[in-house]
Amino acid sequence: MTHQTHAYHMVNPSPWPLTGALSAFLLTSGLIMWFHFYYTLLLATGLLASAMTMFQWWRDVVREGTYQGHHTPPVQKGLRYGMVLFIISEIFFFAGFFWAFYHSSLAPTPQTGGHWPPTGILPLNPMEVPLLNTAVLLASGVTITWAHHSLMEANRKESAQALLMTIALGAYFTYLQMSEYSETSFTISDGIYGSTFFMATGFHGLHVIIGTTFLATCYIRQQMYHFTSSHHFGFEAAAWYWHFVDVVWLFLYISIYWWGS
Amino acid sequence: MLRNLLALRQIGQRTISTTSRTHFKNRVAEKQKLFQEEDGIPVYLKGGIVDVILYRATMILTVGGKAFGMFEGAAYAIYHLAVASFPKKQD
Repeated sequence: MTHQTHAYHMVNPSPWPLTGALSAFLLTSGLIMWFHFYYTLLLATGLLASAMTMFQWWRDVVREGTYQGHHTPPVQKGLRYGMVLFIISEIFFFAGFFWAFYHSSLAPTPQTGGHWPPTGILPLNPMEVPLLNTAVLLASGVTITWAHHSLMEANRKESAQALLMTIALGAYFTYLQMSEYSETSFTISDGIYGSTFFMATGFHGLHVIIGTTFLATCYIRQQMYHFTSSHHFGFEAAAWYWHFVDVVWLFLYISIYWWGS
Repeated sequence: MLRNLLALRQIGQRTISTTSRTHFKNRVAEKQKLFQEEDGIPVYLKGGIVDVILYRATMILTVGGKAFGMFEGAAYAIYHLAVASFPKKQD
């Protein structure tokens, strides 16, 4: 008898962990070659290789779950734990940048002029585009919840519409933030203000792009009938990630844009 | 020749889809059959020839890239060490 007698998933051997690790090597050494020698070939290869690895690895997870039926309840539980732990690790990642911001802004040194924002820095008006960005992300939190409930009620048309709206709002946020970046009177090299501002908001923006991509993948899968009204963990993982991105923005807005101006 | 042209026109009409652009057909059952075939092929190759092409391309990019990167890195490091070993005399 060759069939397993347990509910867990014994994964086929896969080359993607290896190609992922090699891509990471190319990315890191590629960054060094770019920073120090203006040489971009290694970095470009690393970016392409990591994108291909991610595409194929996650394509295989979809195949294993949706097409091969390996995502039994205990397996799904493990996937849920995994996503939660990953998001917690990302919270710690952002905690570092917030620590750096509060370290410098709570007790401004003589080098900044003894106050925050430092002398010479003209911060963005928190009541203009940043406030719009807040509204956009909060609205996207509503639309994704609507999409989820529609999905659970097997309402295909509404869940697709709501998901599309969420993606559009995410793209709109990215567009607004990019235009704000071109409007700032300060750059990343303008002292500690510039560093903390762009590192924190920059990584947040990257996570918005990642989240939007995840949502777009969910939209395609929804159109291909991958989700059922009771089993759609991929969508739930994307929704959790999206809410996390929204919450990070709220902290950013209140700390850096509002209190820090 | 005109007869052939007419036949071509008929085929064209028959193959036009009647579903709207945004409607996908539910092909999950077909995919399930394909990926559950007991042929010993691992999941990362089970989709067909495109899987094999993508896999080979990824391996070439990464393993080849690593080999090239290490060689290049070593070459750069040795070059810069050599340059540093013979400092230019300050006038």
